[in-house]
Amino acid sequence: MFPSVDFVGKWRRWFAISGVLLALGLLAIAIGRLDLGIDFQGGAQFTATGADRQLGENEVTDVLPPGIAEESVVTTLGNNGYEVRTPVLSGAESQEVEDALSEALGAEVSATTVSPAFGEQIRNQALQAVIAALLIIVAFISIRFEFSFAIASMAALVHDVLLTVGFYAIFGREVSLVTVVAVLTVLGYSLYDTIIIFDRIRENAPTVGYNRRRFDEMVNASIRQVVRRSIYTSIFTLIPVTALLIFGESTLSDFAFALLVGILAGAYSSIFIAPQVLSLYKAWRAGSVQRSPRSA
Amino acid sequence: MGSTRNNLIVLGLVVVLLGVAAYLIFLRQPVTESTQLGLDLQGGVSAQLRGSQTGGGDVSREEMEQASDLIRQRIDRLGVAEPDVRVQGEDQIVVQIPGVENPREIIDIIGRTAQLGFYQVLAVEGSPNTPAEEVQSVEDELEEDLKDDQEFEPGETKVLFEESPALQGGGTDVFGYVVRQQPDLTGEALQQNGANVAFDPNNKRTVSLQLTTEGGDQMAELTQEMLNEATVSGEPAQLAIALDQDIQSAPQLNEVLADQISISNDGLPEGLPEDEARQLETVLNTGALPVNMEIISQTTVGPTLGLSSLRSGLLAALIGFALVLVLLVVIYRALGLVAALALLIYAFLMWGIIVAVPVTMTLPGIAGIVLSIGVAADANVVIFERIKEEVRRGRTSRAAIQAGYDRGFRAIVDGNITTLITAFILFALSTGSVRGFAVLLVIGVVLSMFTAVVVTRALLGLLSGRGVQLSPGMMGVSKGDISAERTAG
Repeated sequence: MFPSVDFVGKWRRWFAISGVLLALGLLAIAIGRLDLGIDFQGGAQFTATGADRQLGENEVTDVLPPGIAEESVVTTLGNNGYEVRTPVLSGAESQEVEDALSEALGAEVSATTVSPAFGEQIRNQALQAVIAALLIIVAFISIRFEFSFAIASMAALVHDVLLTVGFYAIFGREVSLVTVVAVLTVLGYSLYDTIIIFDRIRENAPTVGYNRRRFDEMVNASIRQVVRRSIYTSIFTLIPVTALLIFGESTLSDFAFALLVGILAGAYSSIFIAPQVLSLYKAWRAGSVQRSPRSA
Repeated sequence: MGSTRNNLIVLGLVVVLLGVAAYLIFLRQPVTESTQLGLDLQGGVSAQLRGSQTGGGDVSREEMEQASDLIRQRIDRLGVAEPDVRVQGEDQIVVQIPGVENPREIIDIIGRTAQLGFYQVLAVEGSPNTPAEEVQSVEDELEEDLKDDQEFEPGETKVLFEESPALQGGGTDVFGYVVRQQPDLTGEALQQNGANVAFDPNNKRTVSLQLTTEGGDQMAELTQEMLNEATVSGEPAQLAIALDQDIQSAPQLNEVLADQISISNDGLPEGLPEDEARQLETVLNTGALPVNMEIISQTTVGPTLGLSSLRSGLLAALIGFALVLVLLVVIYRALGLVAALALLIYAFLMWGIIVAVPVTMTLPGIAGIVLSIGVAADANVVIFERIKEEVRRGRTSRAAIQAGYDRGFRAIVDGNITTLITAFILFALSTGSVRGFAVLLVIGVVLSMFTAVVVTRALLGLLSGRGVQLSPGMMGVSKGDISAERTAG
């Protein structure tokens, strides 16, 4: 497949494409578009389901207790559902909000409250988890392949995570604990394609010494051999994930959105980022070895 | 491709496993009860509490275990079914209770330290008929006033409040009391199971406290002293009964009290409200928690929200699953049929494992299963693409299948190990529903390697052993492709 595409040689082009998307995402984060949910900041969230009366979002705000109403965000869910997000509330205040909502809407009200301290704990754990996952995966690939492959997959992973977070900011979707879980899952999963390509590179790698032109050609050939496979595996995973995005509600569609972006980013990075970084790193290593032969 | 005998053993094992799964899912109990649903799917309450010492020191593992036992006892006494109370990490407790009708009552009861204290009232000031929204500001004013009182000494004394519904005129009667920093008598004076809901002569509901003999003596001593002081000062003696930092009742003393004390509320016609009396009885009898507990997060999910989440999750999973099956057959023809069969086996065995362990299904869990369906299909894609590649190079289908499995397997294992790594990290660092997701992902990945690699291989091996030769066309490779690759390669 794609016999005429120079995957390795045209690395500047591939890096530029994802660079633009990354820049857009980081810009969106910089202007404060990233919406951290109550899981990370603390606060309360009320979900009213099966409402008997249809009210506008402003009307729902009006029924909330004074003092809380001004700082609340009301959104409509489907035909007869509402979601209300407020800052941190005391037990009595949250009871008032629940009562007000169930009375005005004739709905069943579910509630989640998170204290700011807990939010901080979640934030720290999420960060720890992502860093731990990155380090362990790098260690695993170093053992199973070699260190240069680990560097390349690390670059691809960081790319995938940043792109996913960036897209959350661009689309203004709320980042919740579930988002972090999805991002971590993507970390593990998006490596699948990268490893399939690396596996083929390993299989095709000549036993004789390194030569940049020969190595790059070999990488190109390896990508061509497995690119169809990478595209198919991504499609096969994206199908159920897309079904989840379309038919799933709240938590599930959040989850699916992160997976969708992550898997697409992962598919791209496995073909257009990881092998190129591998080639560049190998070339740089070879260059520095030549310059200082004693260090080898 | 292994011998026919090995293939038959593998397939026989699969049939046995399918039988076991069918028994667990359909026969052991009605199928609607076979799968354990999480709180987000069936409704319920979950809360996470953090323990701390009053002074700020570390809480020990034993204290947390003890606290979680006490919390479980309290919930049991409310007559709620199957609470799940667990210590998590160093200083946290997770409480999960499915399908409750009165979540507020449970939340109120679980986090209370419930330290009972008896205090001599040194000074008092009150504000009757306070409207609900002004209670906080009134308490702030009372505290300011009481701190100017001559009885108040910073460090030695503190101000506690009592809020009770006004007998006449509506609103809340708010009282502030200056009391000593430490209770004059603590809950240790209470006899085991000594708290009971009772009715006084006017038929008002109270909670009676039966003290131990020693506790009764101390109480008599304390109240005698208070009465003596009252005679000297001319002001009435008042005993405040506090639970944690809230005054429950502050009766005036007319005589020396001994081992019988009661918490009452004269403001209401019925005495103490029924809920409140029952809660007091429960927390006092189970005893105080050894550490202070703070609720750091809580979730209540209504049953209809749970049901609609479950429906949409199942619908999404089924549609995704069906599409994957169709696409497998379209792209890989005969090979795809075998893979689709393996995927169906996978789904059924997965359900069997979920019931057998049992794994509690949650929303993230459904997402985990859906993702694992994709991963299971991926393993077949990797192998089949390799087979097609070998066929294009001109190998016989038999040799191509052999090579496809041998070479594809290594990549599949490496690819899945990274998913397992992240699943283990998620499990180690997370709680509740996220753990459910991690567990399902691990089970799904391991099981999918079995069905997608071992089972499809045995099926294909058996087919070719029976003399069924797969033509390239039956594997989705066109004749043109074969010669093209041959000349190119």
